[in-house]
Amino acid sequence: MFDGIQFASIGEFLSMGGYAFNVWSVYLLFFLFLLVNLLGPLRRRKKLMKELQRRTVLTERQRAAANE
Amino acid sequence: MWQWFHKWGSPKWFYELSGRWLPWLTGAMILFLTVGVVWALLYVPPDYQQSYTTRILVVHVAVAGTSLAFFPIMAVAGTITLVWKMKMADMVAKTVAPLGAWFSALTLASGSIWGSVMWGTWWEWSDSRLTSMLFQFFLLVSVVSLRSALNDSETAAKACAVLSIVGCVNVVIIKYSVEWWNTLHQPASGLSMDSGSVNGPEFWVPTLIMVVAMYLFMAVHVMMATRNEILRRESRSQWVLDLVATGRPAS
Repeated sequence: MFDGIQFASIGEFLSMGGYAFNVWSVYLLFFLFLLVNLLGPLRRRKKLMKELQRRTVLTERQRAAANE
Repeated sequence: MWQWFHKWGSPKWFYELSGRWLPWLTGAMILFLTVGVVWALLYVPPDYQQSYTTRILVVHVAVAGTSLAFFPIMAVAGTITLVWKMKMADMVAKTVAPLGAWFSALTLASGSIWGSVMWGTWWEWSDSRLTSMLFQFFLLVSVVSLRSALNDSETAAKACAVLSIVGCVNVVIIKYSVEWWNTLHQPASGLSMDSGSVNGPEFWVPTLIMVVAMYLFMAVHVMMATRNEILRRESRSQWVLDLVATGRPAS
């Protein structure tokens, strides 16, 4: 499994044959792109759920007040 | 067929089904992403001309290829919206558009970073592939802003549907730009079975894995975002109220 690895050392791996800036900046952007688009909907869901819960509590209170 | 169509038209049904699918899709996405990235960064050999910059291309080609799927998806959803006025189709169209803009932006950025060393330039206005991809980015941004600019959601849905269908023309232009106008951007390499050649399996196998990862990522994002959109639009219906009341956000 490790036979095909193209590097002899960590330093050689990080240098990417002299194109370290280009290779690593693309992969950094790629990870940011994934992260933003996965965490974004999760955060919006949390906010939305809270908002909906608040609204249910409010309508229940109003209903209870109307019944009195 | 019609029963199937009706089911897909039901937000509640979509919400429940996607809740069951999401864990599996997310797992598959993580698997393909990990294999793709590890393979690309550790195993892809240096090309005799491009050295290790081919590792950029594994990401660039996968993201760029997937970015072409957005307008066709939006056009299909738009047609369903226009003809059958199905609510679900418009919700999907709405959540797909911003992600498409992200895909196009990453395509441009990664291509530019690769070109800066391999072509000696970050950008070339006369290249048809580059400019048509930039145009796709602007088109997707305009679809997103058109929707937020129009207050009436039904008018917005119709306008976005029409723009999505028209936007498909640009996808064809992007696809064939490298063949019609031969400028800077190279045409697709095709797949060769010879290992050791420029387009041998050591390059295209990880690229293909990454393409699968990108489609799974698209599916996961679109499902999550569409579920949010369903909750927002259906917030007055009984099943959403029940769901909120039980406090169980799952499935």
